[in-house]
Amino acid sequence: MLIEIDHIKKSYGKHVALNDVSLQVAEGGIFGLLGPNGAGKTTLIRIINRILIPDEGEVRIDGHPLTDEDVEQIGYLPEERGLYKKMKVGEQAVYLACLKGLDKATATRRLHSWFERMGIDGWWNKRVEELSKGMQQKVQFITTVLHEPRLLIFDEPFSGFDPVNATMLKEEILALRDRGATILLSTHNMASVEELCDRIALIDHSRVVLSGSVRDIRTSYRRGRFRICTEGADATLNLPEGFHTEVEHADYGETTFTVDVPTGCTANELLQLAVAQTSIISFNEVLPTMNDIFIETINQLS
Amino acid sequence: MKKIWLIIQREYLTRVKKVSFWILTLIVPLLFAGIYAIPIIMATMPLEHSVVLVADDTHIFADSFQSTDDINYHSVASLDEARRRLQEDDSVSAVLYIPTRETTIPTDAFLYYRGDAPSMNVQNDVDHQLQTLLRNNILLDVHGISMDDYALISNTRIHLRTQDIETGREGFLEIKIVIGLVLAFLIFITIFSFGSQVMRGVMEEKTSRIVEVIMGSVRPFQLMMGKVIGIAMVGLTQMLLWIALSGIGLGAVQMANRDLFERAKPTEITQIATKGTDAVEQMAAAASEEKFPMKEVIEGLSSINFGLLAVCFLFYFLIGYLLYATLFAAVGATSDNETDTQQFTLPLTLPLLLTFLLVTQMMNEPGGTLATWLSIIPFTSPIAMMLRLPFGVPIWQVVLSAVLLLAAFPLCTWIAAKIYRAGILVHGSKVSWKTLWGWLRA
Repeated sequence: MLIEIDHIKKSYGKHVALNDVSLQVAEGGIFGLLGPNGAGKTTLIRIINRILIPDEGEVRIDGHPLTDEDVEQIGYLPEERGLYKKMKVGEQAVYLACLKGLDKATATRRLHSWFERMGIDGWWNKRVEELSKGMQQKVQFITTVLHEPRLLIFDEPFSGFDPVNATMLKEEILALRDRGATILLSTHNMASVEELCDRIALIDHSRVVLSGSVRDIRTSYRRGRFRICTEGADATLNLPEGFHTEVEHADYGETTFTVDVPTGCTANELLQLAVAQTSIISFNEVLPTMNDIFIETINQLS
Repeated sequence: MKKIWLIIQREYLTRVKKVSFWILTLIVPLLFAGIYAIPIIMATMPLEHSVVLVADDTHIFADSFQSTDDINYHSVASLDEARRRLQEDDSVSAVLYIPTRETTIPTDAFLYYRGDAPSMNVQNDVDHQLQTLLRNNILLDVHGISMDDYALISNTRIHLRTQDIETGREGFLEIKIVIGLVLAFLIFITIFSFGSQVMRGVMEEKTSRIVEVIMGSVRPFQLMMGKVIGIAMVGLTQMLLWIALSGIGLGAVQMANRDLFERAKPTEITQIATKGTDAVEQMAAAASEEKFPMKEVIEGLSSINFGLLAVCFLFYFLIGYLLYATLFAAVGATSDNETDTQQFTLPLTLPLLLTFLLVTQMMNEPGGTLATWLSIIPFTSPIAMMLRLPFGVPIWQVVLSAVLLLAAFPLCTWIAAKIYRAGILVHGSKVSWKTLWGWLRA
């Protein structure tokens, strides 16, 4: 395990932000940290970064308790992020890199190659306040990853990016994963969770309420819903009591049925019924989206 | 340690690289040099030539007015004639009229002009000559006292000397007051301005939201102390530059004006010489000596321990600044904008302001109860001790005050660090005294 979070408790006065939170983040892959606003995600992230010290419990990296030196193995892009407005872009990026333990020469060399790739090399000597918001976000992203940390923590990384730059950022994150970095992604964007994350943990009311691999979670939340696509613009499907069907007629001569089967009914049984009545083009199981699971889990708890 | 050094470097360099830093660094010595140079330049500037008509109904002064290099006095028979000439003749700049009154000694005189009022130079000279001539007239004609006797009387004075019975050193109070005030004011202004620079710097990091990025690399305490120390070094740099540049500036003024000085002196002397008899000259000489008692100033200065003063000044500036700067940093961390800071900055700066308001009371009695206590209590001691030091302070009091100040520093830093750590990541809500107390107890 790269990171082990062991029975963490943290409260601010009377408000309990994290209550007995334990999590394991394995080396490699993208780990999604989900949860509604105020659930305690940011507090947990700050504890992993040693910005906050937990009241109880500990965070371990490679099996040993986290120390101040270990933050050099972490890259952190906070949700609330900014730069010194009056400082020059290059100078500032070098400064932030040096604070993460890089020497000046290495930082400068790496920065120039990153700036070139991101298409902002001409802005090296400009003040930050002259940059557009998108460019500032790029600079911020570069300074987060420049010291090539083993663990990268992105808190809502896509907020403030336009679609073009968001895609670019996504590709950079995937490239970092492919090079072996472990990524902790905190986001509200469920589509990007399904697309990017291998494993997730859902935090609500200062506790971990759900965790595991995205595939396993979605499978465990399966509730017998299938989609059958058939030939014919006005095809019909008559199913016995207990089945619930939604029909959608497409203009181009196809009909789609979304069927919720009663408990105990298998895909084979549904398929047999359907084959008898229609000519099937495709048949597949509909797994609940992470969005559905998120909302369902949170609602169940409250 | 390496990281705190990086922070100090950034804080220092970004400030020292600013144009405003250099403007301020240059303006202060220029101001000093200017204050020093302007009177010299003024003294050597050629004065405009003026003609003053004297209409004297009392006949006491009449023809006695002495023309100088730039003022010509002409006696005229009547006020009417003088007024007519003032209106017709542009070369006449003023009319001096002395009317008769019921008393034998005239009580008032009028200086009439048309358009522009006569220059300060003319007014001063007219006034000076009026007084001198009137005094001569009364002494000689009314009381029969000779000018020599008068000079003797007016030059006779007894010299009050304040002396330390152990060292035999003479204390000249005025120069000590000046030195004490200047040093205390310097400490006050630098603690205030560099302290608020720390506060604004912290607020800048908080509002621009860079603080969380940096917190990912360094501890809050390192960031806070890096800023405080970095700005302390900016302050020291500026002070040393001020001292060096002021020295150079004053030296340059003196060098450049040495010739002017030489030229200015003789005319002054001739002016005095033309103003009356030898006795009057002696009086003038006595008066000017009275204005600037060089001998006593030097004696007063020599009784001050400048080595101790310099060491104490640097100590009280540095530790006093550190004491306040950490607390200013804490205030900056509690607030998203300048207005929110005011509820905390006022109580924080109150000890400084209060000490400064009590300067007169302390000056009256530099060894008194008030001054002694204020110079020992940590928050007021940087200012109060600087006020007292030129007068001589018992060494145990200096040591006690220094030890207390040094002890207060870690305490303030501890308080400030707690508030800073909790406040720096809080956004949107105005922090109350109650919240602050909660953070302190956490």
